[in-house]
Amino acid sequence: MSRRLLTYLCIDTSGSMNGEPIVAVNAGLQALLGSLRANPYALDSVHLSITAFDSEIKEVLPMTAIADVMLPEITCPKSGATLLGAALEHICEQTQRDVRKSTPTEKGDWKPILVILTDGKPTDTLAYSEVIPRLRACDFATIVACAAGPKADPSQLKRLTDHVVSLDTMDAASFSKFFQWVSETFSKDSQSRGATSSVELPPPPAELNVVL
Amino acid sequence: MARIVTLKASDGSTVQFVDEVKAQGGVKDVMFSPDGGYVVAFFRDKANPAARERLLQITGPYREKMFNQDGGDYLRNLYCWPTAVVEHEGRLGVVVPFYRSCFFFEYGSRNNDMLGIRKKEKVGKWFATPGHRARFLDPRELGDWMRHLKICLMLARAVRRMHMAGLSHSDLGYNNCLIDPTTGQACLIDIDGLVVPGRHPPAVIGTPDFIAPEVVKTSHLPKEDPQRILPSRTTDLHALPVLIYMYLLYRHPLRGDKTHDVNDSQRDEELMMGANALFVEHPQDRSNRIKAANAKASELPWRDTDRLPYTITGPYLADLFLRSFVDGLHHPGRRPTADEWETALVKTVDLLQPCANPNCEQKWYPFDNTRQPKCPFCGTAHRGKLPVLNLYSSHAKGKFMPDNHRIMVYDGQSLFRWHESRFIFPNEKLSADDARRVGYFVQHQGNWYLVNERLSGMRDVRAGQDIPVGEKVLLDEGAQILLSRENGGRLLVVQMVGN
Repeated sequence: MSRRLLTYLCIDTSGSMNGEPIVAVNAGLQALLGSLRANPYALDSVHLSITAFDSEIKEVLPMTAIADVMLPEITCPKSGATLLGAALEHICEQTQRDVRKSTPTEKGDWKPILVILTDGKPTDTLAYSEVIPRLRACDFATIVACAAGPKADPSQLKRLTDHVVSLDTMDAASFSKFFQWVSETFSKDSQSRGATSSVELPPPPAELNVVL
Repeated sequence: MARIVTLKASDGSTVQFVDEVKAQGGVKDVMFSPDGGYVVAFFRDKANPAARERLLQITGPYREKMFNQDGGDYLRNLYCWPTAVVEHEGRLGVVVPFYRSCFFFEYGSRNNDMLGIRKKEKVGKWFATPGHRARFLDPRELGDWMRHLKICLMLARAVRRMHMAGLSHSDLGYNNCLIDPTTGQACLIDIDGLVVPGRHPPAVIGTPDFIAPEVVKTSHLPKEDPQRILPSRTTDLHALPVLIYMYLLYRHPLRGDKTHDVNDSQRDEELMMGANALFVEHPQDRSNRIKAANAKASELPWRDTDRLPYTITGPYLADLFLRSFVDGLHHPGRRPTADEWETALVKTVDLLQPCANPNCEQKWYPFDNTRQPKCPFCGTAHRGKLPVLNLYSSHAKGKFMPDNHRIMVYDGQSLFRWHESRFIFPNEKLSADDARRVGYFVQHQGNWYLVNERLSGMRDVRAGQDIPVGEKVLLDEGAQILLSRENGGRLLVVQMVGN
């Protein structure tokens, strides 16, 4: 068995995402899947899982090889909380369940990737604070967090990861740029490596603001 | 609509590009010219004098040295060589001809291109992944085993010619070799990274899976550290056999099931490709064997090294694989040269037999040196008599020595000048006249004949008879056919196998 690259997408479906933003996210996911399928490296290894969170946590796509993924249409209620903490707890449980560890006789999976997209700030702040150390212990290769729109709070996301990008607007164009950037992170392993630079994410496109 | 930028290039020409990144490589952003005839690839790093000097050398003197000699026209198809250097907003770029259309998918994937890859580049990874071949690629894109062998020959030839000129590519891998399995063509791209020993140090360390173990092993050291090993001619000689092995056997020669680090997959990977690298088919050390039982159905039989061992590629290539992945894996100086690969590949073409099974995906296989040959890919046995021609060549008058070179006969198989004389080799320097066939083989009422088309000195030695142009000679056990009386001329000695 070849190593799998498990990727967890954690998507905010709180009330404020209703309308154009969620339509744009669905289109972005479709484009991300399309570009991963057209990449022979990703097609060989990437597996995708999608968790949507608002007042509830819904695993809308269980871990599936990208060749077999049938994307569900992600919808959101008219109103609802942003239970990011609970969503991340769910992700921690998923990784415990999904990630195959190496054994002396069999190779395990790559370290997984987590992508978080939110347009607000966590309403379950205590749970959020508590889950951060647990999430770190899950040993993700990369955590990318996207703070979309004016109400998102990048500083909360900075507690999770150094890779926080913020989108000024929540229209189709900026989401598609974001998902394109995510898909490029999957091809970096197959590209030439510089003689001096270390292995890093590709530079984000100009339209994204990286939060420092 | 993005704006069009117009620049003056290093060679004085006017270069235009649409200011929109169309593709991204490890170190470059690629823009297209308005007419799509060429691309301009900009390095993301800021321009510096050393990089500029190197690119000017590559597009100028090295390019001329390569193409303004015998065989230059032939070589033009083997490389996508940058033609000029430009500078824009503090960044350096190279102007590169657009790839030929055969290197883009015509049909793409199955089910009306379900993956949406039509018109995209034929990245080698598609063809060297058994699951992609079996499940996704349109069968019309797959080519056959003879075409795959030819791709390897083109790559070996391209690398050999570069090494002859004192250059090394330094980043050979799937992404930098375009291939077309439907015609057997291949082309080296990303030439701008090439290394001139002592003058231009490498800018990249290579592409994962193709980086030589000594480079992986020392990649954590600073670039200035004397222990650090950077890409060179000898690391090309690791990447080349990895490519050849993958295009012929659809698996990686070092990617076995031995675990080097249970806790850290990245570290495990580094050890597997670096310090602990071990051939999956090492004749004595079996610890890195691929466990066929763990493979998916779509990956078989390719990941089963007992069913399809490297030796099915024929004796010439098998010998070089051993030297590359056993003797030379951790001893760069012992790796076979690109020239040896080219020679072995040319000789392996002569070992090919068509498979009798019309549904065999590979369609061709190298003779397995047995009396009852069969296709290793689909298991179909050869039917009928099969002449094997052993080549000898004259070294002194009347004294013929074996060349360790065989020709397998099949209907429509041809004889060429490079079979007639050991001093002629099929490469870029071969004249058009010498590339024409000099004879062919034909089966008639169960017997095999060689028909002489252009050999003035052909003679049936056993019968003591000349065979003039237009005549034919029967191939049977023990027949001896002289092709030329010149020094270096070849003698064919016939063995019959099959039934």
